[in-house]
Amino acid sequence: MKRVSVLFISILILLGMLAGCSGSAGGPQEESSGDSSAQKGKITLNFWTFWGSETRRPVIEKIINDFNQSQDDIYVKHTFLPFGDIWTKNLAAISAGNPPDVIINDINSVQHRAKNNQSTNLSEYIKDDSFKDNFYPRLWDTVLYKNEPYAVPFNTDTRLLFYNKKAFKEAGLDPNKPPKTWDELEAYAKKLDKKSGDRYERIGFYPLWGSFGPPSWLMNADNGKGFLSKDNEVQINTPEKLEGLKWLKSWNDRIGAENVNAFKAEFGSEQSNPFIAGKVGMWVDVATFYTQIRDFGKDMDFGVAPMPAKTSDARHWSDGGGFVAEIPKGAKHPKESFEFIKYLTGEQAQTYWASKNFDNVANKKASEDALSKLSGNDKMVYKEAVDNLQVTTMNPVPADAPDYQNKINPLIDAVLLGKEKPENALKKAQSKVEQSLKK
Amino acid sequence: METAYESTKKRKQAAQKDIAEPVKKYRIKSLRKREELSGFLFISPWLIGFVALTLGPLLFSLYVSFTNYNITSKMDFVGTQNYHNMFFNDGLFWTSLWNTLYFVAFSVPLTTAGAILLAVLLNQKIPGIKVFRTIYYLPAVLSGVAVYLLWMQLLSPSTGLVNTALSWFGIRGPAWLFDPEWTKPALIVMKMWSVGGGMLLYLASLQGVSKAMYEAADIDGASAFRKFFHITLPMITPVIFFDIVTSLIGGFQIFQEAYVMTENGDGGPVNSLLFYNLHMWNKAFEVFDMGYASAMAWFLFVIVLGLTVINLKFGKHWVHYGGGDEK
Repeated sequence: MKRVSVLFISILILLGMLAGCSGSAGGPQEESSGDSSAQKGKITLNFWTFWGSETRRPVIEKIINDFNQSQDDIYVKHTFLPFGDIWTKNLAAISAGNPPDVIINDINSVQHRAKNNQSTNLSEYIKDDSFKDNFYPRLWDTVLYKNEPYAVPFNTDTRLLFYNKKAFKEAGLDPNKPPKTWDELEAYAKKLDKKSGDRYERIGFYPLWGSFGPPSWLMNADNGKGFLSKDNEVQINTPEKLEGLKWLKSWNDRIGAENVNAFKAEFGSEQSNPFIAGKVGMWVDVATFYTQIRDFGKDMDFGVAPMPAKTSDARHWSDGGGFVAEIPKGAKHPKESFEFIKYLTGEQAQTYWASKNFDNVANKKASEDALSKLSGNDKMVYKEAVDNLQVTTMNPVPADAPDYQNKINPLIDAVLLGKEKPENALKKAQSKVEQSLKK
Repeated sequence: METAYESTKKRKQAAQKDIAEPVKKYRIKSLRKREELSGFLFISPWLIGFVALTLGPLLFSLYVSFTNYNITSKMDFVGTQNYHNMFFNDGLFWTSLWNTLYFVAFSVPLTTAGAILLAVLLNQKIPGIKVFRTIYYLPAVLSGVAVYLLWMQLLSPSTGLVNTALSWFGIRGPAWLFDPEWTKPALIVMKMWSVGGGMLLYLASLQGVSKAMYEAADIDGASAFRKFFHITLPMITPVIFFDIVTSLIGGFQIFQEAYVMTENGDGGPVNSLLFYNLHMWNKAFEVFDMGYASAMAWFLFVIVLGLTVINLKFGKHWVHYGGGDEK
């Protein structure tokens, strides 16, 4: 009798455990963006984005709602996943054979995912050859792997020079003449510096704050050429890039690494952005940085300009990233998914997105249409951003050496800290990256 | 000579024995078996969990370390190529290993000594000691990311509390998390903050040290210093040993700190905070090179296993277990 009850209890416990396991599978935070009764008899598509902020979420959900209302067969369900989780969750879902139907993913690594069988080849669904003409050619290029599209570009960004007009006036500079060349930039920056004793109260400009890192500056220096050419030719150790690196280092020498670090450590939350707080005179950032100025810098008098060029006859090269819509490998309804992607990247949805977020959208026509819906500062910033796309380069990561930048960054860090000669650093970086691409 | 009868009898006896024995054995076995069975059933939730969720993936990753597995598209056997690349083609591997060893070599002795010192101080009989104990233990309760963000502010070069405090003594503090020479020391200092957890263990064992020994030492006229080194320390060596073994293993697993406290989690200035696990994580989830990452994981396992075995071996010579059984 005793034995039986022992057995019975242990089985009971076991069953309880198993039941507990199956019941508590915590899924991502889901939120349907419409009436659930409306989805009966329709194909439901799971759409994953990381747009959960107060500014973006309503915009994307309105776009989804519009799509759902126009549809008889497809119902799109939006799932928000935090930016830090979305790629790994997607990867896990793909390998488990249960991925979302459409996901917003990074534009520069499309080829890498295509090569690794993580996304669906879209050429089968794009029947119309002119489809690609809807988008900026540079963006379309990034979604091609072996000449076939694996994603559709959704939005992009571009770096601009924001400058504080009030500080310009104070320093005796013309607030309507932003610096056009590196030399002007440096001269203006010196005038904008404000010191009390040894300490800086305001730093006119420091090239590596904001969102234009060393790779971007060296691209700007080298006539728009990034570290890798389109055919993955390594072009790191060039005379132009060497000059650029020396120039970057010269800022550290002039301002002092300690001052740079001290200032940098204070950049934390958006409210204390040093440009908005008036502690830095000029600042490079993406166009949507404007929404921070608008929200946190009360009536700040600022201007926006293209990136300064290395010399007066060079172009104002800037760089950009962005996001694409793609269908993860193994998604159940690729045809319907593409139908939704077409809407998402179509004129109507893209115009709405652009005019609400001041974001550069990938659809050419929408990008221009949105301009007419804006006014004032909104229009000024947005127009600069759209114009700037002409000189914006993309730097997709090569499918064979996706982490090639990890080999370059520490060497550049070492140069900026005075621990390595610029010549040696570029030479080493060149050979290291060549080696990793050969493998 | 044996008669036929006798031999038959013997055979019969032998046969009976043969039969009788198994019957007896069968009874015992079946009882034991049934007990075993219910034993296994009782621990089956753990067993199933361990086999399915730990052992399985563990062995899988061992196999994966010999392939070019990337989760989604390929899994070809490549022999020891991952290990070969690790040792000969990946400079960052050695950087990350060095950073991790540096961290372990300083943080483990310092936190152990710190915890003991704190425990001895908090073992005094003075009024309000419980309040102090609570205060010193508190940081150990706070966890993870929030603490790192707090320390990023404390270590801020010009306005951080640490450098402000240093400036009262005329010391100009370093740029901590921005200067590659100081990033690892900064993290080690940060770790010292949470010695409260270890302190609690030491405090418990300090209170278990018999008063009689101190009394005997007092009668012999031993100084406080001698009493500490000849009574207190030897008596708490089992806990010191436990603390060193576990914090050594924990030290090698350092990851979150660097991931949270460096820009984009990329390993800080000049890769000075690129720890072993951070490099592994980047390989696994940034470039999907699971085969390589698994090889790294198994190499780390070998290192930690080796150090733990050495620890256990040498432990015999300095760890004193009260209650005899000494060899």
